[in-house]
Amino acid sequence: MKPRVIFGTAAIVVFTSLLMWNFGNSIGSYVGFDEAELSGNRVHVVGKWVKDQPHGFDRERMVFTFHMEDEYGEIRRVSYNKPKPNNFEDAESLVVIGSMRNGVLYSDDMLVKCPSKYNDASNLEMTSAE
Amino acid sequence: MIGIIGSWAIIISFLAALGAFITYFFASRNNDLKLEQAGHILFGLKGAMMLLASGLMVYLLLTNQFQYFYVYNYTSSDLSNVYLWAAFYSGQEGSFMLWILCGFLVGTGLIKWTSDTYRAPVMFFITMTQVFLLSMVLGVSLFGINIGAGPFRLTAEEFAHLPVFLSNPGFVPPEGSGLNDLLRSPWIIIHPPIIFLGFAMMAIPFAYALASLWKRKYHEWIYPALPWTLGANLCLLIAIFLGGYWAYETLSFGGYWAWDPVENASLVPWILGTAGIHTMLIQKRSKIAHKASIIFAILAYVTIVYQTFLTRSGVLGDASVHSFVDLGLYNQLLFFILAVSLSGLILYLYRMKELPSPKSETPMFSREFFMFSGAMTLLIVSLVIILGTSAPIIGRLFVPNPTPPLPQFYNDWTLPFGVAIAILSVLTQFMWWNKYKDTESFAGTLIVPTLVASLLSIAVIVLVNVTTVVYMILLFAAFFSIVGNGIVMIKLIQKKARLIGGTVTHIGFAVLLIGFLGAAYDTPMLDRNTMNYNAAVERGEVFDSDGFPEQQTMEVMQLHINQPRRISDEYYVTFKNVEIIHENRPGEQRYTLEFEHARSGDTFTVQPLVYPMIANSTAGDMSWTVDPEVKMGLLRDIYVYVQGSSIVERESNRVRDETTFQAVSDILMNGYERSLNPEVNDLVRLAPGKKQQIGQYEVAFNRFINMSEEELPENAIVGVKAEVELTNRQNRYTETVIPKYVILFEEGRNRVESPALELEHFGFDLMFETIDTQTDEVHLRLIGIEESIEDEWIIVAIEKKPLVSVVWLGTFLLMFGFSIAIYRRWDDQRRKTRGQPNAGDQPVEDETKTV
Repeated sequence: MKPRVIFGTAAIVVFTSLLMWNFGNSIGSYVGFDEAELSGNRVHVVGKWVKDQPHGFDRERMVFTFHMEDEYGEIRRVSYNKPKPNNFEDAESLVVIGSMRNGVLYSDDMLVKCPSKYNDASNLEMTSAE
Repeated sequence: MIGIIGSWAIIISFLAALGAFITYFFASRNNDLKLEQAGHILFGLKGAMMLLASGLMVYLLLTNQFQYFYVYNYTSSDLSNVYLWAAFYSGQEGSFMLWILCGFLVGTGLIKWTSDTYRAPVMFFITMTQVFLLSMVLGVSLFGINIGAGPFRLTAEEFAHLPVFLSNPGFVPPEGSGLNDLLRSPWIIIHPPIIFLGFAMMAIPFAYALASLWKRKYHEWIYPALPWTLGANLCLLIAIFLGGYWAYETLSFGGYWAWDPVENASLVPWILGTAGIHTMLIQKRSKIAHKASIIFAILAYVTIVYQTFLTRSGVLGDASVHSFVDLGLYNQLLFFILAVSLSGLILYLYRMKELPSPKSETPMFSREFFMFSGAMTLLIVSLVIILGTSAPIIGRLFVPNPTPPLPQFYNDWTLPFGVAIAILSVLTQFMWWNKYKDTESFAGTLIVPTLVASLLSIAVIVLVNVTTVVYMILLFAAFFSIVGNGIVMIKLIQKKARLIGGTVTHIGFAVLLIGFLGAAYDTPMLDRNTMNYNAAVERGEVFDSDGFPEQQTMEVMQLHINQPRRISDEYYVTFKNVEIIHENRPGEQRYTLEFEHARSGDTFTVQPLVYPMIANSTAGDMSWTVDPEVKMGLLRDIYVYVQGSSIVERESNRVRDETTFQAVSDILMNGYERSLNPEVNDLVRLAPGKKQQIGQYEVAFNRFINMSEEELPENAIVGVKAEVELTNRQNRYTETVIPKYVILFEEGRNRVESPALELEHFGFDLMFETIDTQTDEVHLRLIGIEESIEDEWIIVAIEKKPLVSVVWLGTFLLMFGFSIAIYRRWDDQRRKTRGQPNAGDQPVEDETKTV
């Protein structure tokens, strides 16, 4: 009875600590551009597309570049190595995943958060205005 | 009017459920069969009212009654009836209604098939879940507290603040905002109903387990609960498969699994249900593991509610691609999860002392021990996945504002347990069907599968050059499981074929493991130039315009029409043509790409789609999405999708200036084909120093040159030349030509002389047509340019995805195995009830003890 219990408890403790340690390492925090630049690691930056700055898909290098304003008001260029994602224009906010180098956020993954359909009455206003 | 009837139907349904809940409680406490009958009637009323409400909702959807918010929000008049029906469960409210309907269906089954001992308490707990689910769609305000989101809300109430409703409260929107284009796929008709049926069925083992605690009959419940749990698991499995296949084949999610919270929401209950099935089998066989069976049955349902809470309360926020928005149900969902888990926990703790415990300790070397270890491994896996999915909550212990974990976290912490399960399944199967005197004789029987698995693994490792040790171990475990279970299966088929359910599922699981390995070898297929570029980027030799080293490799490439490219030194791929087909959606484009094998010369074509997301677009901004095409192979798929094209670019430019949504949608519905065969405008107007591209050519107008007296004929009034530089962009050929424009005075009137220049190296003749004196522009006509081909191009991603078919095969084997097992357990149960009316109270010897 005894050795089994001790062995079991030890296994659970070791397993749980390893798991939690690895879990803590594999999650990050949503950060702003400044913090992203400092850390240099792969981070999630939340922000909004700045429409009046140049943007477009570069067919030579196959990257989509645009400017984004993070939650602290900083504006930086984002270079995304895929074409423009769906719903990009009417996104309420963007979550760009990548790392910062020299003031540019190089991203290979992006989540586009659309305005919730429940508040979106833009089409309705348009149809009723006619 | 219909809305009022519908709302009242839901309210009555809720009250009936509440009444049934109370009635069943007293029926169960007093063992009162009459009262129980009353409960059934109330339960039936609940179901009938819900059916009525659902029927009304479907009617409203089919008749496009946009004054109802749900109809306005999820449909538009262009949808076919099939999608109008699917819109019923496309939103949160409707999907709750579907879930309740499924709950009614399984409840009716339970009333019919449950033995007297358990019927009332089981129905009590089933009704409890129904009360909570119904409260989500109640839509009633009590003492200032809103309970639930009513599906029959009016658009006018929802948008009461808009001017149009302020000035005209009776306004009905002429058109709905439409079903999300991604959902316009045949899969939506079948995927959600199956998943909710699975969710509803998983409440059955939960109800049975709690009923067994209440009635203190801790053993017999597993006989009826087993086939139901198997059925719930089969439903979840089919739903998971359909979701994965949908994501892979028609959405551009890139793969069949992404560890998204919504995906995990059905995977975790499936894993726990599987664990529960195994402990129930131990309990059935050896009269131990009563506690584990009860715990797993409770946990499987608790996780369904927990994951529902995560995905529907808005907690996940940024973490999931497709979590629902918060409907204000946070508190109600929280109550639901608390009620389900607390009722389980309290009842369990209350009865814990008297729950049967094994008299002696289970020996290490026994089928019970191995099977129990397998179930515990499944528990660990599900805890890991719950931990990962809960990152937005639990992650706060580590960092503020946590992100979801990397997929690597899930892979690292689940695959090793997959290996353990594969091996345990063989050990258990051997011991389940045979009696061994000692460990030595047992080890002896394992020699064959070990040897065969080793040989197979080594062969694969050498053939495909596997270098990672973990993958080698995984391969061995999977082959060991296939061979080991295979041996048992063959023996069983010879004796009694209906017993093979377990071995088939275990083989399916092992096949899945091998399939998962393929995902580690996904590679983009690129041409030599792009590969060289990527290699140079990785060496740090490429610099961008600011002089910084380029960071990003290219994963996609550009293909020009009819220009083959060699990719991965394996295929020549050619973009052949594009058509606008309007097949499933207005404005759908179908691209044809031809693949030719570099050595064998075999060809095949793939036809990925691109379509405008009209429902998601606004004036001036067109959203496009892609529908990939997969060329399935036995060992590897080729996955192709078009990420951009000249057509999409032209169309986007064309709608950019439009200011109303209607105009944009008109362009896409009607004038769209013109973009494919544009009437080539052969007239080029240019001011000096400007240039213009037309098809594959570039026309640059440098300057006007005045003609000198000598150059002009005698009767000329005025003459001018234009210096024009022509470039063929395909072969980079450039030529400067100087056409003339002279006005002559002949026979009393003016005549223009501007001979067309015949151009040897271009597909047209060039004529200086006139000068626009107001803008100082030259008008050049490119005669015959119609025949030139427009340079169409696409940006395409081509990926090699190994072993995806193997994943599907594994899934089918699992489904097949579960189906056999359901048949067998259901049949056992039926025979038993037929033989002895109260069979449920007397455990019957397992008829299949020895094979």
